[in-house]
Amino acid sequence: MQLDYKKLGFKSGLEIHQQLETHKLFCNCPSIVHDKNPDIKFERKLRTSAGESGKIDQAAKYESKKQKTFFYEACSTSSCLVEYDEEPPRQVNKEALEIALQAALLLNAKPVDEVRVMRKTVIDGSNVSGFQRTMLIATGGYIETSKGKVTVDSICLEEESARKIEAKDNYVKFRLDRLGVPLIEVATDASIKDPEHCQEVASILGMILRSTNKVKRGIGTIRQDVNVSIKGHPRVEIKGFQDLKSIPKIIEFEVEREIKELKNKVEPHVRKANPDLTTSFLRPMPGAARMYPETDVQPILLTKEFIKQIKIPELITEKAIKLEKKYKISSSLAQELVNNELFVILTKQFKKLQPTFIAKTILEMPKEISKRFNLPKENLKPYHFESVLEALNENKINESAVLQILADAANNKKIDFKKYKKVDSSKIELEVKKLVESNKNVSPNGLMGLIMKNYRGKVDGKKAMELIKKYHK
Amino acid sequence: MLTLKANLIVNNKVKLTTKDSKAFEGVVLPDTNSKKVVLKLDSGYNIGLLISNIKEVKIISKSKKQTSKKETTSKFNKKLPTISILHTGGTIASEVDYETGAVIAKFTPEELLSKFPELKTLCNINSSLIGNMFSEDMRFSHYNKLITAIQKEIKKGTDGIIITHGTDTLAYTSAALAFALEGLNTPILLVGAQRSSDRGSSDAFLNLLGACQYIANSNFSEVGICMHESSDDKSCLILSPTKTKKFHSSRRDAFQSVNGEPIARVFSDGKYENISKIHKTESKLIIRPFKENIKVGILKAHPNMFAKEITNYSAFNGLIIEGTGLGHLPVNETDKETKENSKILKAIKSLSKSIPVFMTTQTTFGRVNLNVYSSGRKLKELEINGDYNDMLSETAFIKMSWLLSNYPKSKVNELMNQNLRGEISKRSSKKKFL
Repeated sequence: MQLDYKKLGFKSGLEIHQQLETHKLFCNCPSIVHDKNPDIKFERKLRTSAGESGKIDQAAKYESKKQKTFFYEACSTSSCLVEYDEEPPRQVNKEALEIALQAALLLNAKPVDEVRVMRKTVIDGSNVSGFQRTMLIATGGYIETSKGKVTVDSICLEEESARKIEAKDNYVKFRLDRLGVPLIEVATDASIKDPEHCQEVASILGMILRSTNKVKRGIGTIRQDVNVSIKGHPRVEIKGFQDLKSIPKIIEFEVEREIKELKNKVEPHVRKANPDLTTSFLRPMPGAARMYPETDVQPILLTKEFIKQIKIPELITEKAIKLEKKYKISSSLAQELVNNELFVILTKQFKKLQPTFIAKTILEMPKEISKRFNLPKENLKPYHFESVLEALNENKINESAVLQILADAANNKKIDFKKYKKVDSSKIELEVKKLVESNKNVSPNGLMGLIMKNYRGKVDGKKAMELIKKYHK
Repeated sequence: MLTLKANLIVNNKVKLTTKDSKAFEGVVLPDTNSKKVVLKLDSGYNIGLLISNIKEVKIISKSKKQTSKKETTSKFNKKLPTISILHTGGTIASEVDYETGAVIAKFTPEELLSKFPELKTLCNINSSLIGNMFSEDMRFSHYNKLITAIQKEIKKGTDGIIITHGTDTLAYTSAALAFALEGLNTPILLVGAQRSSDRGSSDAFLNLLGACQYIANSNFSEVGICMHESSDDKSCLILSPTKTKKFHSSRRDAFQSVNGEPIARVFSDGKYENISKIHKTESKLIIRPFKENIKVGILKAHPNMFAKEITNYSAFNGLIIEGTGLGHLPVNETDKETKENSKILKAIKSLSKSIPVFMTTQTTFGRVNLNVYSSGRKLKELEINGDYNDMLSETAFIKMSWLLSNYPKSKVNELMNQNLRGEISKRSSKKKFL
């Protein structure tokens, strides 16, 4: 179905949650997101309590009705009494606050005069305390996109929730390693124009957050929540996107679902994205009543002097353009090479080699080795790249040998350059000539196979083909 | 500027424009002062804005008195026991009043029942507000006020009393009540919370529920403390009023027995098991309150001590010494560096002649024994009291203050050594130590 989003009154906004690479937000525990072998276990119950306005939050009420027992497992390496709600929080992690402010300035937002830590009621057990600590850092930012400016309403700093590891009817089990890891939450206004635009906005926001160079990388370290509504339908929040590419399709399905639902009376609510890109009901939409002050943490005054000393990092996109120009490499390679120190070192060290080849060696070959030979690319260490490129730089091996040698290294074999020693070109020509003469009915590709059987890695494939074509008639 | 501030009235919904043209809409909160305004934005977030950065304030709507919450009404159920809840302060039944910024007690039976609806099936609730203070601020006059309130409830025929209390000095109050209420025949449980009750995870719920259940279901009729047994929301301990100490500044299982065992364990479903024998007193209730002008001090022994630390107490009515080890003070002059120690010995000799001085141990666990080392023997020669006792120094402090309030000074030393309310145990059990 082709949808006219403008006509439908499509409204959409994004919330990005990005974990930071620092110690936890309210204690000095390290942020080990996947800590194993829990040595601490305890169980709790949670209750609803009224917020500042005296109202009990909708979403909290919904969870409370379920009256579940929560089992918590924790590792003493990655959590302390603060995570077990057995000690008041310490002061806000200053490094995390500075990273959030860097992100805010990159997003053209204005920091608030005074940061006040809030408690956001969450009683599904994912926060031991029954609330998530969060604070508004900056407001009124924007980003430029292909479809115009998108306003960034708010940049918040908050604590990550616990990881759910088991859920049954009457209990839920959580692991506390992730609880308290600092998160930056960036929220846009509802001016996103269509599903593709939403993906673009998410990708730009992700890039800006990564530009601080202090964010966690890998699965689960960044999460997107998308708000979607059409005219006549209340706001629906979708959580749990597996990757950016799934955003447009999920929004499209959601809009189709909302169109069908237009006749019914619906309350705003939260849905979760399913693997088949449809969504399903999660809980009612929480409101402002879920927020009340964290009285255990003093407000933080952001003085002009403090803001002034925050260094605004260069955007990844800007750095990439510089790399592209400096090393004459493609823009996609340049994007990947931002902040890659190994690349800078190797290009300085091996001047005879093309930067593009060095980039491919360190970025693409490991992926290929894992895909083609099913070998663990993690085994490849910087010194492997260095020694193989050194051999190439000194003309001891052919470019085509590099992948083979790295594959050996990934396979924990000793690197043996002799095995891949470059063969003298006149010797190769003689060999090709002989082979072509004795296999007159074989096609050039077949001949190539025969050559490579004996000389894989020792001759350049392109050169060999040239020779085959020279003698094959 | 004047009109600007005049519009920043608490609970007004306003639109603020800053000098760099940012606009914020929200409700003015009580933390607002002459330098900054604190707003609750529509998103629920609070932020602080410097008044010096504000250009304009527009009132969107004026402060509305908040409509009171819908409350559960409590109906008297003849089949259920009646429990009186006396609130003295602490986080257990208090909430932040966002209108004034102060901590207030939500304390009518209706408010309590709306917070703890499961109490409705357990008991009828009477409640009254005795005070609303941090427990570290308490004085003997507050103990007396509490004692009077308890007396009143007992006269009304209550089946049990729960005292909600700040945890810092809860164990002092429990000892004070145990001594002051002789021949008690009504259960009185002190209940506190280590995590504030405005959070879903507060230990207040289970502690209060456990206390109600134990009063409703058991035949306990003395003073006790009801607090979490562990980090789990599974069980509470009923603890002795004189042999319990707050051992941790923040953990919910902070209250533990010292040189003794808990009285009972109450599970979240209301079942309970008695651990140590309950002393059932059959005598008539005699109230012996505290004299509010009694001055007793607690002095902790430490290295490099000075005689002045002891002479400081000459104007006091009594002194508890938290000695090192078996009950020691630095009183041995062994070389030219330790001359001060002789002065300490002299000072303590003179002090013990004028006021009762009682020795406890800063190890918390274990018993005082003034016969093993020369320091102890020297103190014993001076008739420093407390040999062979295993009382907590907090309990000893309360006990001495209470004895000085109610008995002639000459009787105090003798009574300090007698077990009156389970504060001194006859035998040293190996069962529980941290």
